[in-house]
Amino acid sequence: MSVEASPMAIPISADRTRRGSLRLPKVSRSVLLSTLTVAVLLATWAVVTEMGWANELFLPKPQAVWAAFIKTMTKGYQGATLLQHLGASLYRILVAFALACLIGIPLGILMGVSRNARALLNPLIEFYRPLPPLGLYTLLVMWLGIGESSKLSLLFLAGLPGIVISTVQAVTSVDPVYVRAAQSLGATRRDLLFHVYLPAAGPLILAGMRISLGFTYTVLVAAEIVAASAGIGWMIWDAAKFLLSDVVIMGLIVLGLTGVLLDLMMRGIAKLLMPWS
Amino acid sequence: MIKRLVAAVAVATFAFTSTARAEDKPAKITVGYLNLVNAQLVTKHLGLLAKEMPDVDIKYVKVGGGGDMLRAIAGNDVDFGGLGNPPTAIGVTRALPIKGILVINMLDYVESMVVRTDKNITSFKDLKGKTVAAPFGSTTHYLLLQALKDEGVDPASMKILDLAPSDIAAAWLRGDIDAAWFWEPNLDRAVKNGGKILITSGEMAKRGYPTWDIGVVMNAFADKYPSYVEKFVKAECEGIDFWLKNPEKTAEIIAEELSLPLEDATRMMKGTGMVPCDKQLTGDYLGTSAKKGKFVDTLVSTADFLVKQERLPKLLPRADFETFVQPAYLEKVIGR
Repeated sequence: MSVEASPMAIPISADRTRRGSLRLPKVSRSVLLSTLTVAVLLATWAVVTEMGWANELFLPKPQAVWAAFIKTMTKGYQGATLLQHLGASLYRILVAFALACLIGIPLGILMGVSRNARALLNPLIEFYRPLPPLGLYTLLVMWLGIGESSKLSLLFLAGLPGIVISTVQAVTSVDPVYVRAAQSLGATRRDLLFHVYLPAAGPLILAGMRISLGFTYTVLVAAEIVAASAGIGWMIWDAAKFLLSDVVIMGLIVLGLTGVLLDLMMRGIAKLLMPWS
Repeated sequence: MIKRLVAAVAVATFAFTSTARAEDKPAKITVGYLNLVNAQLVTKHLGLLAKEMPDVDIKYVKVGGGGDMLRAIAGNDVDFGGLGNPPTAIGVTRALPIKGILVINMLDYVESMVVRTDKNITSFKDLKGKTVAAPFGSTTHYLLLQALKDEGVDPASMKILDLAPSDIAAAWLRGDIDAAWFWEPNLDRAVKNGGKILITSGEMAKRGYPTWDIGVVMNAFADKYPSYVEKFVKAECEGIDFWLKNPEKTAEIIAEELSLPLEDATRMMKGTGMVPCDKQLTGDYLGTSAKKGKFVDTLVSTADFLVKQERLPKLLPRADFETFVQPAYLEKVIGR
């Protein structure tokens, strides 16, 4: 037995060490590959502009974009520094997104658990969901004016349907066995919500929130076109009017990196709130 | 596979020969025109361009303002366009491949600063703490900043918003803004709804800040089809002539093109200065190929102003602006 067991034990341990040794390089390898992509992209950019293959009006040199970054950080662009522009945009996005979550998640849960609520609200959601938010913007500006409220509403409306729909899906896909088991143990509706539906549907709801935040983000430039005087989106739009492509590209990079950071934060929050997912 | 390759080569050859054959004649031209009251509407309405080039497909594209026109030019979306002097200064400084070939119009009271009557605004100093709108990068934005500077009023003491002309009209009707410097046909809506004119662009011209719109052509088009640039200039000149000789009929055309009452169209017309084509070759305007006119001076001072506003990186030498102004096509049309 012991003779049989020892050769058995060897391959297992070998397998384990191999897996263990594979795990580390696997992470660093994907990091390496990602770094490679960025490096190749930057190098191509540098070469193309250095060789003069691209019109500088359309594709400025990396150092010009870097200079625009430094200048906007220190001196600012049209009366506000880069951080102030970023702050104005993040404020808009986060407020609108928070509102979309505050309204969208309860609405989605309601529609998920109650067939009547779903029947009542579905036509509204289904009609409004495919509407391009920009089409609504003209109307929003006329109704709410050119101030902050129309911008926030546009971002809010862009984020809402994603959250509602993914919450409905999350709630309806909760295994009814859980619900029945809890009910048979005497769970109230409140208990069901907080101890069955939310924990079970949580991961899917959070995934929906991530997608919805991304969608809100894509509408930012559009929201800041009308009568803003600060914001990353406005900065990009304004610089484009004056053909300052270095500022435009710098703004886009900042926007992209901030988007990645926001998404990482959402993932971090997800892990913190729902370690089981 | 081979069949496909042969087909691809055949298509490519055909495309190549067909473009080569069309060398002397463009298949299609795109004219970007500004949403303004000027003789380009007459030329368009009477089909004068089509008469000059009957077998060319002509496409007219309405463009909201100078900023959009710059983007259209940078994106090579138009063959001909129109630009006010600030966007022109931006375009030349950023080395856009365009030439100025024609004076489209001089801006008088067709562009004005309107202020809300109930806000007691009688001078630029009263704008402190108010909300003012202008399409950024346009002639009126330039004049607004220039006027504030001349009057010694800090632009930071008020809220200056970037809005497209149609959005200004909407925001005005809602009561979101106290003042705006923009142009007809939307200007009138603000004036008729509790507004009065504080200053016109014509008054700023008298103070030494003329504003105008210039017709531009893409360099690539002009190099390939020089005779078609002349045809374009000729058609626009005919439109200007018609405007000057038939004011009543012109007003009817403008009214129809912009869906306006006739009396409004008549008034807006009077606020626009049309320059007869032969006069455009004098020192006050384009000048001649040998001696370029005051348009170059205006471009240099506009660019200088925009550099000081940090909207442009650096002031180019005068020669670059002289190269931009090209009266040669107009000279041929006039016969000089």
